Amino acid sequence: MNWAEVAVLLVSFVLFLGLGVPIAFCIGLSAGLTLLVGVDVLPAVTTLAQRIATGLDSFALLAIPFFVLAGQLMNRGGIARRLINFSRSLLGMLPGGLAYVHILAAMLFGAIAGSAVAAASAVGGMLGPRMREAGYDRDFAAAVNITSATTGLLIPPSNILIVYSLAGGGVSIAALFIAGYLPGFLVGVLLMAVAGWSAIRKGYSDAIPWEGRKVLRDFADALASLFLIVIVIGGIVVGVFTATEAAAVAVAYAFILSVLIYREISWRELPQILLWSSTTTGVVMILIGTSMGMSWVMAYENIPQTLTAALISLAGGSEIGILLIINAVLLLVGTVMDMTPAVLIFTPILLPIVTELGMDPIHFGIVMVLNLCVGLCTPPVGSVLFLGTQIAETSIERVIRPLFPFFAAMLAALLLVTFIPEISLFLPRAFGLL
Amino acid sequence: MSVETVRRRVTQALEWLLVLLMGIMVLNVLWQVWTRFVLRHPSSYTEELARYLLIWLGLLGAAYGVGRRVHLSIDLVPTRLPGRHRLRLELLIELLVFLFAVSVLVVGGARLVSMTLFLGQVSAALQVKLGYVYLAIPLSGCVIAFFSTLSAWEKGKKLHATSEEERNDESAGGRRA
Repeated sequence: MNWAEVAVLLVSFVLFLGLGVPIAFCIGLSAGLTLLVGVDVLPAVTTLAQRIATGLDSFALLAIPFFVLAGQLMNRGGIARRLINFSRSLLGMLPGGLAYVHILAAMLFGAIAGSAVAAASAVGGMLGPRMREAGYDRDFAAAVNITSATTGLLIPPSNILIVYSLAGGGVSIAALFIAGYLPGFLVGVLLMAVAGWSAIRKGYSDAIPWEGRKVLRDFADALASLFLIVIVIGGIVVGVFTATEAAAVAVAYAFILSVLIYREISWRELPQILLWSSTTTGVVMILIGTSMGMSWVMAYENIPQTLTAALISLAGGSEIGILLIINAVLLLVGTVMDMTPAVLIFTPILLPIVTELGMDPIHFGIVMVLNLCVGLCTPPVGSVLFLGTQIAETSIERVIRPLFPFFAAMLAALLLVTFIPEISLFLPRAFGLL
Repeated sequence: MSVETVRRRVTQALEWLLVLLMGIMVLNVLWQVWTRFVLRHPSSYTEELARYLLIWLGLLGAAYGVGRRVHLSIDLVPTRLPGRHRLRLELLIELLVFLFAVSVLVVGGARLVSMTLFLGQVSAALQVKLGYVYLAIPLSGCVIAFFSTLSAWEKGKKLHATSEEERNDESAGGRRA
């Protein structure tokens, strides 16, 4: 490892990032500068351009624009509302029922869409006002929305797990998807425990009577939306579809449901929806492209291997110590960096370390995503935090206090998932994907 | 044609292109599923076409995103700076984006295109020259450079205007004293 090049890489990256250069360009610029230490300008820029092109040239990546598009169609097409109604008639009879309903609806929405931002706006936008009407504190409702929206990133389909699969050099997407279920449910259940405790303590009583017939009716109404889970996940797990094909089928299904059957999206809105999805895709793709360039540069400099050796000696070879250090670093990274760039930058560095310790790449992917979920909800930078406070028309300062108990729940889930591999690996093993 | 008109035309052209690319991409993969399950005769070219469409969609979408300012960044420093320093920093950021677009995407991308065209590399299924697939890189770079130049120019103008204002304020304040 050449220290001059490592110094250039680190210093330029941190500098550009701090100045506020868009992260994709930060990565590209500092990868380029690092190459310039040892290589001439023309070969350096050509190599980077080539890495960007080959980084994007992947059939698996196509699942991302398709899941984004499907999520957008579901969000606007009345699918979210049906899931909320079903959750309400199922859990509404509990004290603090609306908080449970919110968390369950976010999990169900995550199970068909797979983006935390979409979940926060779809579920929070509809349930937030209802919780306030029922007498819930505005900031508490916002905290429920912000934290529960992240469960969709673990519960498949999940775009971030596809990104991880790519950054990790082709970890099985089917196995990652199945592995996400139990950790996602664990987070949901722990969040519900915190919400229930708060609701009882504050005396929220908004319980609606349980009506078996209404549950059935709302379930029937939500069935068509829920069936998407069977098609997408069933198709991937059984091996009928690749994730990309499943995502394209999800687009077709969401299109038929929300445009042709429910008719909640008009044909004239479609170009706007396609454009929005393309823009989101562009943002993720350029990040992936430049990150591929960066990880090529890092591999060229042997940086991951050197770091592995350093970290293992630092923790005295203690596996628990290393995992705690990695989690602490990722939590810190997550407070300032969005999830996609964090996964793209840190997977190539950290994955060799943990595989050296005998950790399964599937398990690590789940730990990493769950860890970075906390960062999406924490200041100073957190996309779901920003969106959630904006939707609830409150401020970050006010929502922080009610968020703390929920953070504790997420951290507890993180520790459990980190140190009990079976939470992540049981299902993939049971389905023979491991 | 004024600069504003050019910007609007470029933005509109990009929007249509992106909508088209996304639409074709979805139909293309659905066609792949259809040929495999219903016709039982898997299409040989859909996977390759989908990958190349994604390269174009991703790079042009990223360029469009520069115009729309939707790229992720850490804005802790810029949002905490007072007006003029913030403008200066934003100008610097635009210049860095411009630098990346021109050096890596335009120059590096163009060289990649000419090299692959020179070597005559063709794709396996579609028999397309790979150089044309990679053309998306310099093209995206040109659009990014265009957008960042425009907004750097706007910021420069604003910076100039505020510095004039301040000078006027100062001289006015001086006279009052």
